[in-house]
Amino acid sequence: MLTWALAKKDLRLLLRDPRAVVVLLAMPLIFILVLGVSLGEGFGQKPDDRLRVSIVDLDTGFPNPKADEGDEPLHWSKTVQRDLAQTAGIRVEVIPELEEAEALVANGKRAAVLVFGPKFSEQVTRSSFMLGGVNPLFRDGVDLEKLDAYVLRDPTQLTAASIIEQVGQVTMLRVVLPWMIGSAFGTIAERMGPLATVLQQMFPNYDLTGTTWAALTRAAERSNDGAEVAVFEGQAEAGWLSRGAQRYQILVPSYTVMFAYFLVLTVGWLFVAERRQGTLKRLRAAPLSRPQILMGKLLPCFLLSVGQGLFLLIAGRLVFGMSWGSEPWWLVPVVLCTSLSAMGLALLVAAMARTEAQVAIYGTLLVLVLAGLSGCLMGDRELMPENMQQLSLITPHAWALVAYKQLLANPADPNVFLVLQSCAVLAGFGLVFILLAWSLLRLDDTT
Amino acid sequence: MRPLHHQKGYREASRIDRIKRMGEPLLSIRDVVKRYRDTVALDGVSFDVEAGELFGLLGPNGAGKTTLLSIVSCLLEATSGEARILGQPATPRDRNLRRSIGIVPQELAVYGELNARENLNFFGSLYGIQGEELHQRVDQVLGAIGLADRANDRVDRFSGGMKRRLNLGAALIHRPKLLLLDEPTTGVDPQSRNHIFEEVRRLAADGVGVVYTSHYIEEVQALCSRVGIIDHGRLIACDTLPALLARMGGVIRFRVPDETPGLRQRLGEIPGVELNGQEGTTLEMECRDVKSALMRLIALLNEMKVELVSLETNEPNLERVFLHLTGHALRD
Repeated sequence: MLTWALAKKDLRLLLRDPRAVVVLLAMPLIFILVLGVSLGEGFGQKPDDRLRVSIVDLDTGFPNPKADEGDEPLHWSKTVQRDLAQTAGIRVEVIPELEEAEALVANGKRAAVLVFGPKFSEQVTRSSFMLGGVNPLFRDGVDLEKLDAYVLRDPTQLTAASIIEQVGQVTMLRVVLPWMIGSAFGTIAERMGPLATVLQQMFPNYDLTGTTWAALTRAAERSNDGAEVAVFEGQAEAGWLSRGAQRYQILVPSYTVMFAYFLVLTVGWLFVAERRQGTLKRLRAAPLSRPQILMGKLLPCFLLSVGQGLFLLIAGRLVFGMSWGSEPWWLVPVVLCTSLSAMGLALLVAAMARTEAQVAIYGTLLVLVLAGLSGCLMGDRELMPENMQQLSLITPHAWALVAYKQLLANPADPNVFLVLQSCAVLAGFGLVFILLAWSLLRLDDTT
Repeated sequence: MRPLHHQKGYREASRIDRIKRMGEPLLSIRDVVKRYRDTVALDGVSFDVEAGELFGLLGPNGAGKTTLLSIVSCLLEATSGEARILGQPATPRDRNLRRSIGIVPQELAVYGELNARENLNFFGSLYGIQGEELHQRVDQVLGAIGLADRANDRVDRFSGGMKRRLNLGAALIHRPKLLLLDEPTTGVDPQSRNHIFEEVRRLAADGVGVVYTSHYIEEVQALCSRVGIIDHGRLIACDTLPALLARMGGVIRFRVPDETPGLRQRLGEIPGVELNGQEGTTLEMECRDVKSALMRLIALLNEMKVELVSLETNEPNLERVFLHLTGHALRD
């Protein structure tokens, strides 16, 4: 009860201190805002070395001539997309609108975009070696125009556009050619059964009735693992803040962690003021034990720090459109353990500093050095060289970032073990700091 | 609102305590020594303070007053010797004994960001007082220190005097039996000083033992019945005020127009008078009883038909006692 009385008083003092509000709540938001607006779209995203093939899919599909009634219509554009996505070193990006694709190419943001027209499936289905069919094959591969498809090219990036087009050609051949062979052989089998059997015996390594490349070559079908078709995310609807941009998944936790340790200043000032104005003497003259006084001091710091962490994560979601990931409840132990270590460090500085100026100088220096070393200051630890990333693990900040990264930047599949490990290390930092502060803190400064 | 120490419960508690103690001093300090490495802050200090007594502790800055109060208020351990409060040794380990002590530090030990009521609520809650009892006590103390109408104002908007009064109030909220005041009127206006004096006198009248340290001699002289003089860590005098003053005579300083033959000899014949010296035609004499010596001086000058050009008398006071005992003025 005595501890709570002390804690309540300190909480009241902290909440009435405009410096605390500015340092702990306003400054991190301002940092996130400024960096969020000024950083490019690639910040916070994994560098992706794969070739990006952008497509616009206007294909309306076509009824399968071989299927029983009621079967799904053919969507050859989807087959092409799947084949592309399964190709090593390639990632497929679907742009929903043709106008958007034209604008991207015109602005030089895409070298080429493959467009499937509304009749693409119909034309592919009608492609045949037989009389009356559409023959899309020509000297360079597949004549896209005959299949109601074409490529938008940026004339300033012709090399890149040619590479993308060639990739598209190979895929088209892999899709169209087996269909044409399979269809033709099916017709032969219908009309000249024995001949078909002879032909099949002459080409034992091929299934001439297969309509896919894998079936034709008697190879195993590719699994869909790793096939990735991403939808292009436009920037216009996110506003000037670029709400929901990936960079906020990195910036918000980085500055939440960095400013958690600014608690050092607030708590240091509180302690020094208590000494300077003589109220510490009154506390010591009251029937309070040393642990009670320290607990009374630690509790409000901890509550303030947890409040700060939760506030910034909530603000990150509401203001910057940040996602809390698929395991949002795991954020709570990360906030708690980060606060524990920040509180310990704050107490340690308070134990060593004798004046408000010392708190300001040593505290700020310490917080900024640790923030720089850990990678908080630059927003993303991934920007640091590998050896520095290892070195940064001597700071509690880095462990907090590791945990946040798992939960926020890797939301689909966070490694809970890493999160737990980080929380344990953070708690360990906190306890060590508190023990050091306990041994250094002098309450009996009466002379 | 009635002053705090006119409250029935408070008077009764104090009276019962006095009966319980059966003549044992409220505060007893015996041969207290405090050393900080090579520095001796207190050197064998001994004195007693009774319940209801106003004890003044005089000494320049650095004399050891604050160290002594820290030992008495269980904040500091003496190197040797002992301080006892209510018969119990005052040590930092005895947290319960602290409930009997109220300290008014030299600093304004209140929170500027809180209002007066919040400050008193907080300091009361540190002593385990809560609920309605705390609420009543806070109201009583606010009335006693004259801040009832400013109870909800932030303390950093108070004048220095109001802060000092609140500083006193914070030491009274748990109704201590021994009150230790360390320079409680530093930088206050006369009105607040009088308010503090009145409250301290009321406390003493209700049985609270008060140790009042100051380097304002006139305050100690006006307030305290017994005075200890401390210098360089040693208690060089400790007595009632009349007894201390009796150690010093008064001084009469006068000037005559010309050298008068035989005047010095006749002055020396006045009983209880000692001639100190002469600068030109100004003479100074020290006397036990200033009034009777003055009447005899005037009679003598009339008789010798010597004109009196100027006259100055100095009654004995603590300042001169202090100067006499320590060889330096208090504010040197």
